[in-house]
Amino acid sequence: MNAGPQGGAGFPACRRNRHAGRPAALALLLALFTSLVLSVSRAPAQAIPYQRQVQTAPQPDTIGGGYKTPEVQRARPRQYWLQVLDVVLLAVAMCVTVWIVLKRRNRKWVVVTAAGSLAYFGFYREGCICPIGSIQNVTVALTDPGYSIPIVVTATFVLPLAVALFFGRAFCGGVCPLGAIQELVVLKPIRTPRRLDRALGLLKYVYLGLAILFAVKPALARDFLICRFDPFVGLFRREGAPHMLMLGGAFLVGGMFIGRPYCRYLCPYGALLSWCSRLAYRGVTVTPDKELDCGLCAGACPYGAIEEMRTVRWDCLYCARCYAFCPRDGQLARAKAPLVRLPGATS
Amino acid sequence: MSADMTRRGLLGNAARGAVLLTLGGGTGFLVRKAHGQVVWQVDVTRCLNSRLGEVTGDGCRLCTSECVVGLSAVRAVNEYSKCGRCSICPAYFDITSAVDEHGLPSEKLCPRDAVTRTPIGKVDPEDPANNYYEYAIDEEKCDGCGRCAMRCKEPLGLGAITLRVRYDRCLNCNKCAISRACPQNAFIQLPIEQALQAQEVKRSGS
Repeated sequence: MNAGPQGGAGFPACRRNRHAGRPAALALLLALFTSLVLSVSRAPAQAIPYQRQVQTAPQPDTIGGGYKTPEVQRARPRQYWLQVLDVVLLAVAMCVTVWIVLKRRNRKWVVVTAAGSLAYFGFYREGCICPIGSIQNVTVALTDPGYSIPIVVTATFVLPLAVALFFGRAFCGGVCPLGAIQELVVLKPIRTPRRLDRALGLLKYVYLGLAILFAVKPALARDFLICRFDPFVGLFRREGAPHMLMLGGAFLVGGMFIGRPYCRYLCPYGALLSWCSRLAYRGVTVTPDKELDCGLCAGACPYGAIEEMRTVRWDCLYCARCYAFCPRDGQLARAKAPLVRLPGATS
Repeated sequence: MSADMTRRGLLGNAARGAVLLTLGGGTGFLVRKAHGQVVWQVDVTRCLNSRLGEVTGDGCRLCTSECVVGLSAVRAVNEYSKCGRCSICPAYFDITSAVDEHGLPSEKLCPRDAVTRTPIGKVDPEDPANNYYEYAIDEEKCDGCGRCAMRCKEPLGLGAITLRVRYDRCLNCNKCAISRACPQNAFIQLPIEQALQAQEVKRSGS
């Protein structure tokens, strides 16, 4: 912050603002004397009095020798078709997730899809652009007549919501890099008491409200909270403010024991997705036609999304653990030597 | 039972349709309003490093320190067509340093040694002071401290070197961290095409 004029050594303009007066005159005398002494003692090592050599820039024909002016700046913004590709990949990844979870009922491939999304949308695209942060951009674009967002951003925001409206939160399970990084660290999840779970779940609505509040403010006071306080984006970029990196680390360590804390309690986009998935035409189901009431699926769900042997669609994060743990479904049933062979189970 | 189920199904369909219509309407509104991509760029008419009349000792350096990317996305760029190609460039040499045996200042200005000096055109090895030189700034090394831009501006230089955003590193944050910190509000959002064009520094009196 050097807003004020400070004398740069050797600058012609630095001589202004000198106060005339006795102390200044004394200082000037002293300086003259010192410079005289110095110039005598080290005369050859003096700086040249700088004069600008040309008044106009010479062009290639003046320079001659076949000189061509090189391109000024090589670094270009990301190409438009690559941005469109991101949206296409987002859509494809969501379709694949829906197909794997609803049709194949397979956990392994959901994890593979999520890991792929984490690698691409997370570590390669460095967590940007994402639908979570775009909530605020969309809000600003809807309310401020002087602000608009590219079509790519609109598509990124709308597509996961549209999918949630038909199939539930497939975006959370297979595409979202923030979800995927937490999904991969779930180690030994404890069941949070339902009341606490519900109460903490309200936080995301508060966060959503705050995000919208800060987005509808006038341009100068506007603050893009979600992006600024995204706990994982620093990890994706492998750099960032130390406190945000620590917060991200804390979420990951906490996430080993409490399944996907950011998604369940804070994610403002999760709030929108859960509203949409309430209306889902088809979602994750825990085999109601052939269930055993064994409750293995409910025990396996780290997100408390199975209540009274039914999936809670708006809480289900499409991880497909319930299938993997079901003796009549998923990987156990398809395994060569199932842990429990049940009468009537197709192996 | 079945009548109840169909009623639920109907209500569900109606609600889903309503939400879809809302989403579609919102999307339509946003798409109609949409313009091309917007990027951050330095407004050189406001930037302390290139604005005339500002004498800033060691430069403002906020572009280097505030960017969320480790090595800042802001780089000094030499607009070659405006460059004087001087043999003693005030942005390449530290012109306050002592003169060496070749008659050139002995020290370079750039703390990261990012500027290179190459003779161009018809090179006369006998008379190096009369050759034209190209000063290229290595985008990989430069951290956007702006020292060279500060020296290149008039009256010392022609103002060819300015700070610019390097787009392959800029993450295009919603609210650029440098724009928050910039005391001159010199960080502005522009449509790509405009941002990539050469910027004209406002000359005093013209």
